[in-house]
Amino acid sequence: MQKKRRIQKTIYYIVVTVIGFLMIYPLLWMIMSSFKETNTIFTTASSLIPETFTLDNYINGWKGFAKITFGTFFKNSAFIAVIATIGTVISSSLVAFGLSRCRFRGRRLLFGAVLLTMMVPAQVLMVPQYLWYQKLGWVGTYMPLIVPYCFAIQGFFVYLMYNFIEAIPKELDEAAKIDGCSYFGIYARIATPLMVPSLVTAGIFSFIWRWDDFMSALLYINDAEKYPVCLALKLFTDPGSTSDYGAMFAMSALSILPVLLIFVFFQKYLVEGISTSGLKG
Amino acid sequence: MKKRVIACVLALAMTAGLLGGCGSSGASDTDSQTTGDSNGDQIDLSMFWWGSQLRNERTQEVLDMYMEDNPNVTIEGQFSDDYWTRMATFAAGHTMPDVVQMVYAYMPQYAREGTLLDLTPYIEDGTIDMSNVNEEILNTGKVEDGIYGICNGINASALLYNKTLLDDAGIEIKDYMTMDDFINICREVYEKTGYKTSLSYGAMTSESYMQFVLRVQGKTLYGDGAIGVDSADQLEPFFDLYETGLEEGWLLDPSLYVERVRGQVEQDPIVYGSSPETMSWCGFYASNQLTSMQSAAPEGVEIGITTFPSDDIETAEWLNPSQFFSISADCENPDEAAKLINYLINDIDCNNVLLGERGVPISSVVSEAISENISEDDQKVVTFINDVVTPKSSAIDPPYPDQSSEIVSLLDSITEKVMYGELTAQDAAEQFLEEGNAILAGN
Amino acid sequence: MNKIKALVFKENISGIIFVMPFIIGLICFLVVPLGISIYYAFCDYNILSDPVFVGLKNFKTMLNDELFWKSLSVTIFYTVVSVPLKLIFALIVALLFQKTTKIAGIFRGVYYLPSIIGGSVAVAVLWKRMFATDGTINQILHAMGVEKTISWLGNTDTAIWTLILLTVWQFGSSMLIFLGSLNQIPRTYYEAAMVDGAGKWRQFFSITLPLLTPTIFFNLVMQVINGLLAYTQCFIITQGQPMNSTLFYMVHMYNETFVYYKAGYGAALAWVMILIVGVFTAVLFATKKKWVYDGGF
Repeated sequence: MQKKRRIQKTIYYIVVTVIGFLMIYPLLWMIMSSFKETNTIFTTASSLIPETFTLDNYINGWKGFAKITFGTFFKNSAFIAVIATIGTVISSSLVAFGLSRCRFRGRRLLFGAVLLTMMVPAQVLMVPQYLWYQKLGWVGTYMPLIVPYCFAIQGFFVYLMYNFIEAIPKELDEAAKIDGCSYFGIYARIATPLMVPSLVTAGIFSFIWRWDDFMSALLYINDAEKYPVCLALKLFTDPGSTSDYGAMFAMSALSILPVLLIFVFFQKYLVEGISTSGLKG
Repeated sequence: MKKRVIACVLALAMTAGLLGGCGSSGASDTDSQTTGDSNGDQIDLSMFWWGSQLRNERTQEVLDMYMEDNPNVTIEGQFSDDYWTRMATFAAGHTMPDVVQMVYAYMPQYAREGTLLDLTPYIEDGTIDMSNVNEEILNTGKVEDGIYGICNGINASALLYNKTLLDDAGIEIKDYMTMDDFINICREVYEKTGYKTSLSYGAMTSESYMQFVLRVQGKTLYGDGAIGVDSADQLEPFFDLYETGLEEGWLLDPSLYVERVRGQVEQDPIVYGSSPETMSWCGFYASNQLTSMQSAAPEGVEIGITTFPSDDIETAEWLNPSQFFSISADCENPDEAAKLINYLINDIDCNNVLLGERGVPISSVVSEAISENISEDDQKVVTFINDVVTPKSSAIDPPYPDQSSEIVSLLDSITEKVMYGELTAQDAAEQFLEEGNAILAGN
Repeated sequence: MNKIKALVFKENISGIIFVMPFIIGLICFLVVPLGISIYYAFCDYNILSDPVFVGLKNFKTMLNDELFWKSLSVTIFYTVVSVPLKLIFALIVALLFQKTTKIAGIFRGVYYLPSIIGGSVAVAVLWKRMFATDGTINQILHAMGVEKTISWLGNTDTAIWTLILLTVWQFGSSMLIFLGSLNQIPRTYYEAAMVDGAGKWRQFFSITLPLLTPTIFFNLVMQVINGLLAYTQCFIITQGQPMNSTLFYMVHMYNETFVYYKAGYGAALAWVMILIVGVFTAVLFATKKKWVYDGGF
């Protein structure tokens, strides 16, 4: 019986590992390619291991463009992504809590508006939004890349957290209300600790999306010194002319690192967040 | 020491720019005035271009040189991917940078919509010195009655080919191939080496090649609100070539194009592929792409350059402006912008840095002055333009209509159908004429 | 009575304060651009000069636009096929790795990675290499004894499946959301079930699955919206080739707007899509009562 279980377990791990390998193969390929000589990347695309191992791509890539190194681009991206993410998580959780726990006039309409924000494709807003932000004097600054997100305009996050809050037993609020807790007290002391997994999920998503937000950076940032990484990466390839794929892969690999670290660091809260606080339900 | 001072001034000016305005055109206006008060007459310019890393570096370097020579001028260089998306939003918001890079396909539309400045006065008063420039080249920037762009490099359609492969097979390429010559070579190469042929579809140059086909018949691709032909059979030779290639087997399998990025030299079938049948002996490109094609080629492979096939090269061939520099209609200091363009076009030190990366310099003086400093491949391009194309070329087609990019897509998708065997050349020509006319008529 | 009134009053006010950020955001950043884009939908607008009002012209053009119908059908097919696959895969993986052990954590990371690298150029290059005629997939098939060489990307029947596979492969975001709510289910439920002698499967079908339905619903809505508005997969890999068999609706809209500078028509296309997405979402919400658990825990 024990032996059978052990065999089952081994098979399970083999299968999961093999599939896991398929999952990360592209990333491995990108990292390995970044160590190949740049003109051999395409010709040796089907082999994973570089024939000659070189760090040139990292050195050339890091130099960046017109004397601006990738250090600057990383700093810019980090600034944008961190602030916008904090803003998103705080504002979205407030709005989600309000929609879930408070009855007020226009609540359903507002909920509809939250859903609508998810249905509007970014492409249709590009020109009108540009004109509008220009009126606000925001073109050429980070404002369009940060400020709107601090006002919960991504319905996805509101809706995500709304679902989590809905799943928290209402009896908890009632008990707190009887104890004289205001709605803000309930939000801060009861809902927030219970929402940790959803806050972390939203934080991870938001960070990745802001980190990769190429389109807004393209439209609103003029000065190459203010470019975020995702925009700078595009400068390595130029259709019709020479492209430095080696440097691009090297810098792409580096640009995944921060995101990966964020995930590794926070993911344990996804599964642990709630078990420690213990539900009385 | 001097450099450091300039760097400091620059940094100060930039921070002032950052703190002062949020980038709207109104704000930058007050910006330049406030800096103007404290610092003589400080002038801010911006310049916008796209290109490879090499171009970004070289262009930024000459801008730095220009600022060093003209301490009262500050130039913000901007370069980016998705250039035309960005340019469109700039234009919509009237925030176009002062000096912009343009191409023949878009420049006329931008000019007609009033987003560009007519440069005629600056050329007449000599701010932009065009005395060493061939009239025909200057006129490529002409839209209606004004000159809206200064060509910044000369180009021509060019057939790039794997010279090493053909030498080994004992096949010689002569300039000014006729259609029959070309088809015979395609057959011969395929028989001897198994290499196939990638036509204009593969390098996204179908618009140029279609013009080659039509110019020989005295027609233009873009007529007045319609495709400039009398009947569909005039378009047919274009599609015939594809059909013949498909029937005879030497046409590169169209599915391969979905597996690559078309027009990207590193992935072009000339230099990249796992077996002869996934590769091509030639590609329909532009002359200034020789250098990048050569650097993408495996070691020991020499890339050759010749003209597109045509039965009457002198009417078919033309000198093409690879790009233009234009000045935005929103520009606050057009005089200074014009001076900058003049520097980019005529200054020898400047061009010794740029080294014809955008195409052969239009000024004969500059072109000659830099000829010693350019690489062997670049030298090949210059020789090709000067000795092969120039003596056998005629005037460029009139400026393209606004819908030209739509026509290019249409041509592309119809060509694709021919390659997949879904349309005959005749049907393709008829469909292109009908749908193309509809696009050009409807506005 | 007064007390209750005061309470209701308070709930009202508090609610408004909580949602205030969204109201401000909506008014400041969305209402105006949305309004402008609706206006564009009724205009001829080439971006470079001012829009000209033309009434319903753009919507009439759409009826005869072959690519409109083609891209719409491609997009709906893509959504209907990829969304269920993605969700099933995400749920299975979430269930496998919901433990708090270290090794489960590593696997979560590994399975989430594809979603991190998203739509980068590296993915585009690699995906093309894998499905190329002489690529990895065909090599594996050859090794397994399949003789026919298939051009996965170049064939109008198979190309869309490579994009579907890419979407399913990036199931990570749905997985994370499943993980979060799996852990919200109180342990006591399972303990009680164990006392009653329910096996693993019984537990799954009578506790986990029902309690997970709100999250399944959420993921379903999100993915359907994302599927209909999908853009990147097509844009970076096939650009609609071969013969528009993979042309996504949003790519068509983008081309009309930013390649052909027909921004008025582009806006009209976008608003038709917003309507379609709205209808899909409304239908999903209408079915919600039938299968989604609605009791809290």
